Amino acid sequence: MIIEVNEFKRTYTTYKGWVSRKKETVTAVNGISFAVEKGTIFGLLGQNGAGKTTTIKTLITLLAPTSGTCKVLGYDTFRQAKQIRPRINFIFGGELGVYRRLSARDNLAYFSNLYHVPPSVAKARIEDALDLVGLTDKADILCETFSKGMLQRLQIARGLVNDPEILFCDEPTVGLDPLGARMLRDVLKVLRGRGKTIMLTTHYMPEADELCDTIALIDGGVIVAMDTPSMLKNDGESLDDAYVRLVGKKEG
Amino acid sequence: MQFLRVIWDTLRLQMKNSFVRPMFRFCLIINPVANTILIYEMFRNSGHDNFGTFVILGAGLMALWGCICFSSAGDINRERWSGTLSMIYTAPAGFQVIILGKILGNTLLSLLTLLISFVTARVLYGAFFYLPSPFLTLFSLFCAVVCFIVFSTLIAYLLTLSRKTTLYMNLIEIPIVLLCGFVIPISFLPPWIHPLSYILPPTWAVRLLRLSIQQTGNAEFFATLAILTLITALYGAASLLLYKVIDKQIRKSATLEVF
Ligand SMILES: Nc1ncnc2c1ncn2[C@@H]1O[C@H](COP(=O)(O)OP(=O)(O)OP(=O)(O)O)[C@@H](O)[C@H]1O
Ligand SMILES: [Mg+2]
Repeated sequence: MIIEVNEFKRTYTTYKGWVSRKKETVTAVNGISFAVEKGTIFGLLGQNGAGKTTTIKTLITLLAPTSGTCKVLGYDTFRQAKQIRPRINFIFGGELGVYRRLSARDNLAYFSNLYHVPPSVAKARIEDALDLVGLTDKADILCETFSKGMLQRLQIARGLVNDPEILFCDEPTVGLDPLGARMLRDVLKVLRGRGKTIMLTTHYMPEADELCDTIALIDGGVIVAMDTPSMLKNDGESLDDAYVRLVGKKEG
Repeated sequence: MQFLRVIWDTLRLQMKNSFVRPMFRFCLIINPVANTILIYEMFRNSGHDNFGTFVILGAGLMALWGCICFSSAGDINRERWSGTLSMIYTAPAGFQVIILGKILGNTLLSLLTLLISFVTARVLYGAFFYLPSPFLTLFSLFCAVVCFIVFSTLIAYLLTLSRKTTLYMNLIEIPIVLLCGFVIPISFLPPWIHPLSYILPPTWAVRLLRLSIQQTGNAEFFATLAILTLITALYGAASLLLYKVIDKQIRKSATLEVF
């Protein structure tokens, strides 16, 4: 198993007030376990604040687990982060995560460099990635003028600069137009076809249904259901219906 | 090779990014001009025979420090706001290497302050600039730059842990100028403050530069150089150790992405 998560728990501590500092602890993820098989797309679905981003950030070595273990490519995400980092990459939804005063091409060149991709390899890869996300025409314009979807497309290209073995995508289709969203779905399928592993969160059920080999439904920091999309659905149900049935029962 | 490529690219990116910021341009260009004028007027009647040189160095260094301080601290925050801090933190190139590239870029660009300070003093006052041993001064300047780089690396690391970076960088700028004797020699400070001055590396860097333009004996110059080397090495070692701690702490406390 290329990703192994065991009894993973993460809490955040925040402080309130100036004089008497009050400590407040929020449990974002409360003991989840799952494993992802190489060459598959694994979906993490759940309500806002369910703990999806926290889980992904822990797996990409950005956060330490409060307890439990997370292993990626056989390495511990906290203690052996160095071995993991060159072999993975991530795409976050939103307009952040690019240097706005650089062009799209310069952004990709800089990140290739940070991933130690040899310049000769990087050059061709960057052109391919720009072409793939449809930014070739705008490649030399400063990103500060980009629209939301164009920034999102650039994020996707950035996630591919090191040809990662595992790609973590946290709401990667946010802000994309229908063609852009389809482009991303096609990219993810092609990557899976090449043996890459993908972990995906999305709030768009048809997308999860179309792409995921396995889906974990997470609610309040625990996994409430985990199976293939077809097994999660009862006869004649859409994934949307199944989601409402499995997650909605507590909330309403 | 890879290491140098990352440093070089980061350094260029940093210069580009810094220079387009009005605040940085202000610190880089207006600050040394204003400092030079003010300090020149203050020292005009000091009776010192090479005081023009002191003014230029003092004003230039003060502005140089301002640039380095604001950009090293501010850059951490700017990376936070643009959502790239977590990306450079997890990049295989290594956060330490990237931060070093940034600080190098800022420092090299900030050296312009010395030139601007010189031009100001020259044009406005026809100030007299005399270096008894140019080589020694150039060497001292190099040592000072290394010292500033090490010192600001330590500060930049500390600030990754905090959400209040803007507050802290405003808090340290002027006290360091005063404590380290950038303009007014520390002998003017009360004796109980001296120990604090002595443990700050810029104090020794500034002193070394001063000595290089005074015709004092070599003994004092080399003693200061030895202390500067030692204290810079200590701060360098401390920042390496500190990074080990911070690297774990960042991931435990999740301070990388909150403001
Ligand atoms: N840095 C932080 N400090 C304190 N609390 C945090 C922090 N990051 C997340 N949380 C809290 O942890 C919980 C889980 O957040 P997380 O971002 O993992 O949710 P999510 O499933 O990704 O939600 P969404 O669908 O809205 O993206 C939330 O209650 C959130 O408020
Ligand atoms: Mg999220």
